Amino acid sequence: MEEEIRFSHISMEFPGVLANDDISLSIHRGEVFALVGENGAGKSTLMNILYGINEPTAGELFVRGEKVTTFAPKAAIDRGIGMVHQHFMLVPSFTVAQNIVLGHEPRSAAVLFDNRKAEKVTRELVAEYGLEVDPSAEVRDISVGLQQRVEILKTLYRGAQILILDEPTAVLTPQETDELFEVIRRIVREKNMTVIIITHKLYEVMAISDRVGVMRAGKLIGVKNTCEVDERILASMMVGRPVLFDHLDKKGEPGEVAIQVKDLFVADNRGLPAVRGASFAVRKGEVLGIAAIEGNGQSELLEAITGLRKIEKGSVSVCGQPATGKSPGQIRQMGLSHVPEDRLSTGVDKVASVADNLLMGRHKEKRFNLFGFHQRRSTIDRYAQELYDKFDIRGAGIHIPVGSMSGGNMQKVVVAREFTFDTPALIISQPTRGVDIGAMEFFHTRIIERRNAGAAILLSSADLDEVFRLSDRIITLYEGRITGEFKADEITKEEIGFYMTGSRKEADA
Amino acid sequence: MKKRWIDLGYIVTLLISLAVALLIGAVILAVTGHDPLKAYGALLGGAFSNARHIGDMLEYAMVLCLCGLACDIGSRVGIFNVGGEGQLLLGAIFAAQIGVWMKGASPYLAIPCAALGAMAVGGFYAFIPGYLKVKQKVNEVITTIMLNTVAVFICQFLAKGPWKNANKNIVAGTENLPSGFWLTKLVPGSNLSTAIIAAAVMTFFVWYILQKTSKGYEMRLTGDNPRFAKYAGLKTDRIVLITMIVSGMMCGLVGMFRVYGAEHIYKSTVSNEYYFEGLMVAMIAQYQPVPTIIISLIFAVLKIGAMGMETAAGVPKQLYLIIQTVVIFCMAAETGIRAGIARAREKRAARQDVKERSKGGVEHA
Amino acid sequence: MHNTIWSTIFSAGTFNQMFRSATPVALAALGGLMTEHAGIMNIGMDGMILMGAFVGAVASYFLASAFLGVLAAVLFGVLIGLFFALFTVKLKSDEFIIGCALNTFAMGVTAFLSREIFGLSGTSGYAVPSLPVVRIPLIRSIPFVGDILSGHSVFVYATWVLVLLMWLFVYRTPVGLWIRAAGESPETLRTAGKNPERMKWIASILCGVFCGLAGAHLSLGYLNGSFVEGMSASRGYIAFACVIFAAANPPKAYLAALMFGFFDALGLRLQNYISSDLTGTIPYLITIVMMVYVVVSAQKRRERLARQQLLKLE
Repeated sequence: MEEEIRFSHISMEFPGVLANDDISLSIHRGEVFALVGENGAGKSTLMNILYGINEPTAGELFVRGEKVTTFAPKAAIDRGIGMVHQHFMLVPSFTVAQNIVLGHEPRSAAVLFDNRKAEKVTRELVAEYGLEVDPSAEVRDISVGLQQRVEILKTLYRGAQILILDEPTAVLTPQETDELFEVIRRIVREKNMTVIIITHKLYEVMAISDRVGVMRAGKLIGVKNTCEVDERILASMMVGRPVLFDHLDKKGEPGEVAIQVKDLFVADNRGLPAVRGASFAVRKGEVLGIAAIEGNGQSELLEAITGLRKIEKGSVSVCGQPATGKSPGQIRQMGLSHVPEDRLSTGVDKVASVADNLLMGRHKEKRFNLFGFHQRRSTIDRYAQELYDKFDIRGAGIHIPVGSMSGGNMQKVVVAREFTFDTPALIISQPTRGVDIGAMEFFHTRIIERRNAGAAILLSSADLDEVFRLSDRIITLYEGRITGEFKADEITKEEIGFYMTGSRKEADA
Repeated sequence: MKKRWIDLGYIVTLLISLAVALLIGAVILAVTGHDPLKAYGALLGGAFSNARHIGDMLEYAMVLCLCGLACDIGSRVGIFNVGGEGQLLLGAIFAAQIGVWMKGASPYLAIPCAALGAMAVGGFYAFIPGYLKVKQKVNEVITTIMLNTVAVFICQFLAKGPWKNANKNIVAGTENLPSGFWLTKLVPGSNLSTAIIAAAVMTFFVWYILQKTSKGYEMRLTGDNPRFAKYAGLKTDRIVLITMIVSGMMCGLVGMFRVYGAEHIYKSTVSNEYYFEGLMVAMIAQYQPVPTIIISLIFAVLKIGAMGMETAAGVPKQLYLIIQTVVIFCMAAETGIRAGIARAREKRAARQDVKERSKGGVEHA
Repeated sequence: MHNTIWSTIFSAGTFNQMFRSATPVALAALGGLMTEHAGIMNIGMDGMILMGAFVGAVASYFLASAFLGVLAAVLFGVLIGLFFALFTVKLKSDEFIIGCALNTFAMGVTAFLSREIFGLSGTSGYAVPSLPVVRIPLIRSIPFVGDILSGHSVFVYATWVLVLLMWLFVYRTPVGLWIRAAGESPETLRTAGKNPERMKWIASILCGVFCGLAGAHLSLGYLNGSFVEGMSASRGYIAFACVIFAAANPPKAYLAALMFGFFDALGLRLQNYISSDLTGTIPYLITIVMMVYVVVSAQKRRERLARQQLLKLE
């Protein structure tokens, strides 16, 4: 097969992060190449280099044997490269046709934009590739699946020979996914195009790709022919963390119910249903783990329980008190703490000092306030310093802005604050994302400490090993529905993957 | 955090910008045929030559400072009150009319009533855009700009219509404030009255609340990251709305000070876009209270001095507006250029870093 | 009594005045909608108009030609647009701060120079050539309509053409599409191979040009050759309101300007019945109501879409 693209020793560094680390890879014409890896593994960065959005800090890129010297989307488009981004690059108020021709508009009378011709061209493309969509509809009025078609049509209009799809199925329904795969097969077969698909859904890799490359922490771990591997091999390559952990000592029996969720419906940011009828309970002294592939409603579920997201239907109670429709502050009062999924946007105030971040939520306590309003800085600093030492936070002290710390230490600030509330119920999301292995062990030990002390813990993590290691029970979530419930020691990772991808456990579970 | 304003870089930038602005002012003066040194001399003389000028200068500094602080507290929680001018005018006219209505009453009753009335009106007028922002996410900058003009119209209507002065020579103005309600002048013949004492107390309180109390702490974290504040259990919507109302109340009170301390009648001269100058002070001060106070003083010296300069050296007083805005342009340019250099440097450093790493010869499978 | 009110409201004079008042606002709004489309919040238009008016008057006086005055105001508008873009686009300064400062700067610099050049009493007593008044041959003789449409300054008619041209430019040229994309979704435009910053520069320059025209019209057409300190009289803010009101659509912005013009004219005519100050507030209040409506209806649209999606899934 002919070589279409070659990355040669490509590295990309953003301030403080080495997103791509010396990557060499070649991709052939007419193949579907899947690039898999966890979030933050560097897949999107590598593809952004190919599409000219990022200029690599080192290394060389060749397209059809020619060395790429100018890194700009325009140059990439001219080289026949098209990319469908995870966040769609569409102008919402423009029509489908206008979006498709943007940047390369058909003209009439030399200066005017010819809308009729644009719609005609769109209709021709629609017919040629079987991607049904109304050229004159405004993009903001059509569904996400159709918007993705517009994105693909856009690249085809620009004459793409290479199509990059960044997490294309994350926003699609199963039927839409099937349709998308049909389109991919057709353009590869009929037009001999090259398709690169970025994903972290392994069954999709198996379904659509010819070859697969696995990335982890900025490095390319390996490239395989898809027919020679299975999901298990890929998963171990993807996660690939050496499991050197000591055994965690779990003690005690589960007590009364602390978090109760009944028939919960929650919508996502776009207003689409994300959680569809979830019911479960977490008891004191146990860890309930949520095993789900990203984007299956777990984020929305946790936000709804903590009061950050509106509940459409159903109910939540915390420590026996109804929490449905209550504010995050009120739910905290009932006895719930929360380590959020995205610490930068939710868990901390980046600009504020470490001390101020550690204080949050306790700032009204008597000991920190003279006459109930004057902040006693020395007491606050002493308290902050105490937590700083106790949770082994490493940085330039309690007076620097949290934003200047490393991810792991920032997470320690969040955990220190939330765990110190000593609440009977705890929600923990992605406790160790972007954290090094040493700190990971620290967080795991702390979580089990809280469990043994009788806290009810609801845990969600993209790292399946983590879910297994910490949980007493595990529920699987697929497209917003609970597909199974298991004792952690009665099921294997391989089996659970089955339920995370849509199979349902029978009602007797 | 609390020491952010003693940022050496900021002070240097401010001083350089001031110097550049004065230099550009000097060039303009020279080109238009004035002697810059003489003009600037007259400017300083205008501000400090006698007690009356110093009094006027301090009164103007007070107005700028309170308006600037009203803007500061809004910016602290992430809302931008551009409607201070309208709140100020409405506060002024209601305060004036309350004084007229209460003619004959004890000043110890009338003055607090007027102050409360002015604050209520100003607060209400800030509540409207605040509510729209919090509940409907309607851009508060645009609504407050619209409401400013509406307030100007309403005040004109009141001053020409129902509350008009009986004196035919005053086209638009309320009745004169009963002299018993006038605030005592600290410097006879100047605008400086005991209002400045109240203003000083207010300024202290604003600084104190923002920097030293748990309320200020909540406001700061709400402004920095509203999502975090909400997650941590703060009632962010309420904090933003209340702050906006307090900001409006402060502006209303400034209007009352202008009437009771200086003008003794409501006329359009109560404020000539003073709030916008206060806003600019706050911008230059990067919304920090202490720099707001200092820059208010500098700008007041420039403005009152410019009036002296006009009489003494024949230079149009609007020169101070030019100097003032050039300071802003310089500071904006400096910040932008510095950010640009930082971005370029970061990129270069990243490239260097990777090169060195690859030289180290670390091979990956 | 009621009869007289209605006949006063719907007299030819009212509508004539409406077109007169609307024109400077509409011209500035045409500029403002460019920056609005490009995603720049431009509240500095008032200052741009004021400086345009001043430059127009000065050039017209010294070059002894109103048309050269207009040309000078336009060229100066280009400079102002460049200056505005330098800060808001290149240096990434806060748009609001720069707009505010620009307004105050304009106030200061025009007043200062006007006093230096013309003395304290402004241009009165100086012969500043003004723009011609156009009497349209056929239409002028039609009763009522002729009184409304004929006898305006050239700019009133030029504005009609410009509104049409801008409508074509914004919605029917590639550059117009790019400018709108630059404001609504700059990364989309970048991935389409066009530079969104460049579009913002273009929009900013166009805004300067139109505000320059608006200013020149004000000093050379509207007031027949005179410059008065602060003569923009918040028209920049009104233009801004028109842009918001019209969602930056040129013909709608012109209609919004006519609405402001109408209430302006109405206020003058109804002085005996109701305060012009009260009628003056109406357009601003309508604009605020419009803003709330736009936000609420966008939310409704999202909700409706979500419901459709939900139905499909079930």
